[in-house]
Amino acid sequence: MTMPISFSERVSVAPDVLFRLVGDEGVLLNLKTVLYLGLNPVGTRMWNVLNAAPSVQAAYDDLLAEYDVDPARLRADLEEFIDQLLGQQLIVAGAPN
Amino acid sequence: MADIAQHPPQPSHSAVTVETAVSDHSQDRAGGRYRYCVYGIVILSDTPLALPEYAHAGLAEVDCISAPASVFLAATQGVAFDGPDSWYRYQLLDDGSTFVRWEAIGEFLVSADGRTIRSRRLEEASSESFQVYMLGQALTFALVRQRFEPLHATVVAQNGRGVAFLGDNAFGKSSLAACFLEAGFHLLTDDLLILKEDSNQLVAYPGPPRIKLFPKVAKRFLGDAGNGIQMNADTDKLILSMDDRQCANPVALSAIYSLAAPRVACRTASVSIETLTRREAFVRLLQGTLNRRFVHPRRLAHQFGFLTRVTDLVPVKNLTYPRAIDRLEEVRASVIADLGRG
Repeated sequence: MTMPISFSERVSVAPDVLFRLVGDEGVLLNLKTVLYLGLNPVGTRMWNVLNAAPSVQAAYDDLLAEYDVDPARLRADLEEFIDQLLGQQLIVAGAPN
Repeated sequence: MADIAQHPPQPSHSAVTVETAVSDHSQDRAGGRYRYCVYGIVILSDTPLALPEYAHAGLAEVDCISAPASVFLAATQGVAFDGPDSWYRYQLLDDGSTFVRWEAIGEFLVSADGRTIRSRRLEEASSESFQVYMLGQALTFALVRQRFEPLHATVVAQNGRGVAFLGDNAFGKSSLAACFLEAGFHLLTDDLLILKEDSNQLVAYPGPPRIKLFPKVAKRFLGDAGNGIQMNADTDKLILSMDDRQCANPVALSAIYSLAAPRVACRTASVSIETLTRREAFVRLLQGTLNRRFVHPRRLAHQFGFLTRVTDLVPVKNLTYPRAIDRLEEVRASVIADLGRG
């Protein structure tokens, strides 16, 4: 699946989405779709880095520096993760309002 | 690498203060209405209720008013109910109020702000049964509207600390609680739990002084089921008065034990207790909330914040055990030992 957000763009939490850290994991509530979602520790870290970084590329660079992972594998994982977040309407392209 | 899990659509004894009660079944002098306190909530009523005495302090107030059939007919005129033949009917009405009805028990209209419940007891229902549904079910609709997040749990207490058993109907909450009563614990609340944060602790509030049990469980652990009143025509469960076995004051909660579903318990040979991660705990608490069909964003946002906070404050544990009355003492011993380990 082609990622509809390029690595040069930034992403931010979609309106109507709430996030809370519980221990080292995250829980999300999408008020629009009325779905609760959970993130494991790695997903939680990726979520935090993605939403704080000025671009997806910057998030990728930060995660590559942090994790002992093959760059191509990380890129594929990050793309898949963003796809899932977009599919659940949890993030949008652009800076937060 | 990352994983998204999706979930379908919430001190010491002396640290908890309750102002002194003034009288039993007392009437509010100003309005000529009966005034009680249950789950920490002040209940005003135009008819007497089998509830503990009035207390000055309350987390909120709900006014219970008897109403004739015409009020409910008018409110639900033209409403198409899901499962019209069901013994339970629920409908969110256009004015934001909620209509609920249990066949052969009663019907209720809860105002949009949760401050008023209009009720009508059906002729077939005993007063005890009607009050169980009004205070254990209809009231939850009012509390949710007043930004509480009631949990489906039974709590026992000892030495100012409470232990909650969380689970859906028929998960065994009340039977396990009865086993704890036999060991000298007191009942705090059966089936409905209101929690409030106070000084980084969760305070659990006393419910009505009664418990719902099957006769054989009542006989086994309480020694007598003779004073029980049948809950409704479709069950053998009895409503038993707990006047002399209830903890009437709020207590700090030590732990929440999430009971395994009967289908899991039936395949279980031994007692096991497992501490849940906070994410898992959040999901269990969410499953233990009530009125899940009410998904107004304001409710969901509050529920989200409250339940994540609960996971900050108390451990939530998975409790699995065989579904046999003869094994409940073993379950009790395991829980007490677990509590002792902190």
